[in-house]
Amino acid sequence: MTVAAVARPSAGPRAKSARRREDPSVVPLRLYGLRRGTVVAVTALAVVFAIFTLIPIWWIFVNSTKTEPNLFATFGFWFAHPFRLFSNMREIFANQSQGSLAQWFRNTVIYAFCGGAGATILSATAGYGFAKFRFRGNHALFMVVLSALLIPLTAVAIPLYILYAKVHMDSTMEGIILPFMVSPVGVYLMRVYISGSVPQELVDAARVDGAREASIFLRVAVPLMTPALITVFLLSVVASWNNYFLPFIVNNTTSLDPLPVGVYVWFQHSVSGGGYQDFYLYTICAGLLTIVPIIVLFLTLQRFWRGGLLLGSLTG
Amino acid sequence: MSGVAVQTQQAPAARHPLLVMRGHGPERRRYLSRTERWGLVFILPFFVMFLFFLVIPIFYALYDSFFTTRLVGGTVFTGFTNYETVLTSGAFWRGMLRTFIYAAIQVPVLIVIATFFATMFDMGVAKWGAVFRTIFFVPFAVPTVVAGVMWSFLLEDPYGPLDRVIYDLGGGHYNFMGSGAPLLGSIIVIAIWEWAGYTMVILFTALRSVPRDVVESAVIDGARLGRVVTRVKLPMIAPAITLVGILNIIGALQLFVEPEVLTVFTTNVSYNYTPTIYLYNQAYAAQEYNLAAAISFVLALIIIVISVSFVMLRRRKGAWI
Repeated sequence: MTVAAVARPSAGPRAKSARRREDPSVVPLRLYGLRRGTVVAVTALAVVFAIFTLIPIWWIFVNSTKTEPNLFATFGFWFAHPFRLFSNMREIFANQSQGSLAQWFRNTVIYAFCGGAGATILSATAGYGFAKFRFRGNHALFMVVLSALLIPLTAVAIPLYILYAKVHMDSTMEGIILPFMVSPVGVYLMRVYISGSVPQELVDAARVDGAREASIFLRVAVPLMTPALITVFLLSVVASWNNYFLPFIVNNTTSLDPLPVGVYVWFQHSVSGGGYQDFYLYTICAGLLTIVPIIVLFLTLQRFWRGGLLLGSLTG
Repeated sequence: MSGVAVQTQQAPAARHPLLVMRGHGPERRRYLSRTERWGLVFILPFFVMFLFFLVIPIFYALYDSFFTTRLVGGTVFTGFTNYETVLTSGAFWRGMLRTFIYAAIQVPVLIVIATFFATMFDMGVAKWGAVFRTIFFVPFAVPTVVAGVMWSFLLEDPYGPLDRVIYDLGGGHYNFMGSGAPLLGSIIVIAIWEWAGYTMVILFTALRSVPRDVVESAVIDGARLGRVVTRVKLPMIAPAITLVGILNIIGALQLFVEPEVLTVFTTNVSYNYTPTIYLYNQAYAAQEYNLAAAISFVLALIIIVISVSFVMLRRRKGAWI
């Protein structure tokens, strides 16, 4: 679709001077006859929404540094003495009475990486097949993939669990990873991107040269698809990392749980009384540990991140 | 690449795929059969997985929903009995109604907030747009369970910090998880917190791909900011708005994790609070897998009917999605 939008650097170097800062693709604001008050008001609204967005993140960080009694005795939005962030982090890995956090963390990394890599490969090949080949049923099959977006995950997870039980795949790593590899959104994004950025002439030229289809895909198409590959990989990694419902349903073995399920198990323990109050604090620290890797991943890969650009290229 | 181009010119004209495709005869057929075969080869791996992990479970659920497992007599075919039970049960419809109310508030509010900030950042009306966009996107990295845990603590009464702030300001104690509107309102706030930034980023990039000259000619015609947004920019990103609208409706009608996590701190989330919680409880607590399958089918049908009619509504107005 809009190749130009994808080719534009998302966060180019910005000059300090107002005159040089003007982006050639954007009509300068002064031409709209904008009042200064509007800028101030809209920026203020953005600040309010930013505060709303950051409140829970700030809260979880602040409270990961507290002791269990201070969690309820001190003001939630500010630090309290003693500062316990590091000893808390050691403690949540050491206490294995309700499941091992290290194991959950390792599981989540494996599920997210394998699920993400698998989803990327499957989406890339399928997207390429849909975008660059004419075959009977191309359109119909693509519609089938798109209509899968309408299917609630809940309609799939429970029958999947029952089927797993029949073939002894319940409570296995494969049982959790393989469904993550099916990403209709990924196929859709890949097809849109490939139609726009892998020229048919290039593919045809390589065919005339006698190149095999597999090597045309790997050596002509894949290099041109890199931004889409990174985007789909990131999207699928996050989707797998954050997924709670599917592992929760199809897995009954605590040692195979991913972090979100583990966090919830601890959270439920915390209210059960009888010496489990520490788990209030453990839940909070484990929650922080769950979100930090993904936030870091996004901030470092921000310039490769084209998710919006792919979906956003849907202009009329 | 230039080497490829040169060789293309040297190749016999009749063998050029573009010519072959336009022509007739065995060469065209061979070309088409090759692309046909390879097209299927490329989509095959995905479809194998698609079949095993999506299609087969769905049809298995459909099959299962026509049976009933009894303590005495085993599993027997009972036709539409499970569907009758679901469709005539107040428990299902009360949860469904609650979820409709939730979606009817959450989705429009979310889209309005996301569209507002996307257009303001796109036009450069707000300062520091890039910084705000990064901040707004952060909740996308937070798993729903962790979001639920954070908000549970934040909204807790009387220890929660938000309640304390309100109390210190003289507002008294407020039970954010009180039954009825307060609890549903809190869940709406959590969902908006989770998805507004992500939706905003998608719409922002759609706005970015509106060509400059379209906006320019509107400005030359004397259009002011509000007019440019409502008459030029928003109509051009209507397909993107429809898409995020549909995806959000689908997500909203499957509401599960947020209320489920809140059950730790409140007893106001009933066993049938949403259809998904109801079906989960039927499957696991009550071990009624067949009934759960019927519930999941009814829910899936409702979601499909709503999404498709949403698409149709847009189609009638002349949009393609």
